[in-house]
Amino acid sequence: MTDTNDKTPETDGGEEVRADGTGIVAPDDETPTWRERKERTTGLSRLTYEYFERARREDQDLRQESTYVERDVLGFPTWPHETIRNLSIASFFVGMILFLSATMPPHIGPPANPSSTPAIILPDWYLYWSFGLLKLTPINPELAILDGQKIMADRTYGVLANIVVVGAIAIVPFLNKGSARRPVEEPFWAAVGVGGVVFAFTISVLAVQNLVPIAVPLLFDLTFLLPVVAGFVTYAVLKTMREGYMYDLNRRYYRLRPPK
Amino acid sequence: MADEFIKGLGILTGAGLAWMVLAGWYQTESFESTSQFFDPAPEAANLFDTIAIALIDVFAWFAILGALTFWVLIPAGRQARRAYNERRESS
Repeated sequence: MTDTNDKTPETDGGEEVRADGTGIVAPDDETPTWRERKERTTGLSRLTYEYFERARREDQDLRQESTYVERDVLGFPTWPHETIRNLSIASFFVGMILFLSATMPPHIGPPANPSSTPAIILPDWYLYWSFGLLKLTPINPELAILDGQKIMADRTYGVLANIVVVGAIAIVPFLNKGSARRPVEEPFWAAVGVGGVVFAFTISVLAVQNLVPIAVPLLFDLTFLLPVVAGFVTYAVLKTMREGYMYDLNRRYYRLRPPK
Repeated sequence: MADEFIKGLGILTGAGLAWMVLAGWYQTESFESTSQFFDPAPEAANLFDTIAIALIDVFAWFAILGALTFWVLIPAGRQARRAYNERRESS
């Protein structure tokens, strides 16, 4: 570095990168392609070790340069760190409530008439999914063996559907322990999760079908098609994200768990 | 990049809040109706109404254009300039 005004970017060690094969960088004509790097796994543990060692060393240097007095504590003290933060958050939300209630007071309608039943009766919104499961009449099979009769009433079928859904959710932890820290580690189960969330939404929309400007048969089909489509898309996206050399490196990084 | 995000988000939420309040005052017949915030504005009775009704559209467009500026225009401009510089240096 003869010219100090024109600083070129340096590597962490401050050394110049030599591309002729004498440094840590492979010579230009021997630089592995990305496919070769993906196929090479033997040097990966060494690379991981160097990566961590460098990170640890940088951390150590930062600590030594810092003027912060290191105490033997496990976290930040409640006062003032946590308290100030919580106070500011609480102040924001209290201020928001005061502001909105002052500027946009809700209109108070006439009292409900207890002697007349409203035309549309719905549960609270967070129970729409269960209410939607009671509207599965089109898929209650009419059995030929019973001369086209249904084996159970539509309302019984809806209640059983609730048991099936709750049972499926209850079984998932036994099928997958959930050791993945991010969806990309297990694309299939991430896709199952996304499909479930989308199904919870679509079945809720089915519950309020008379408020939705879509023909009911189409809405019914979409209810079951959209979760599958969303699951497929999720799986494809996550599988694609796993491609690449850095994914292997990151997987090693994140698989390092603290000892029990 | 995070700075640009929070600037855009601040504009979107702040101006959106102001728009929501003013449109709730002037352009909402009832909060139980299906058309809220977009009713035609009434005749301004006094100076304050005139200012507020004019500010409704100002806040709405500021929320949209401000967020778009910080989330799309400025990052895209930076990317374009960086790409242009790289291409000029390499050739």
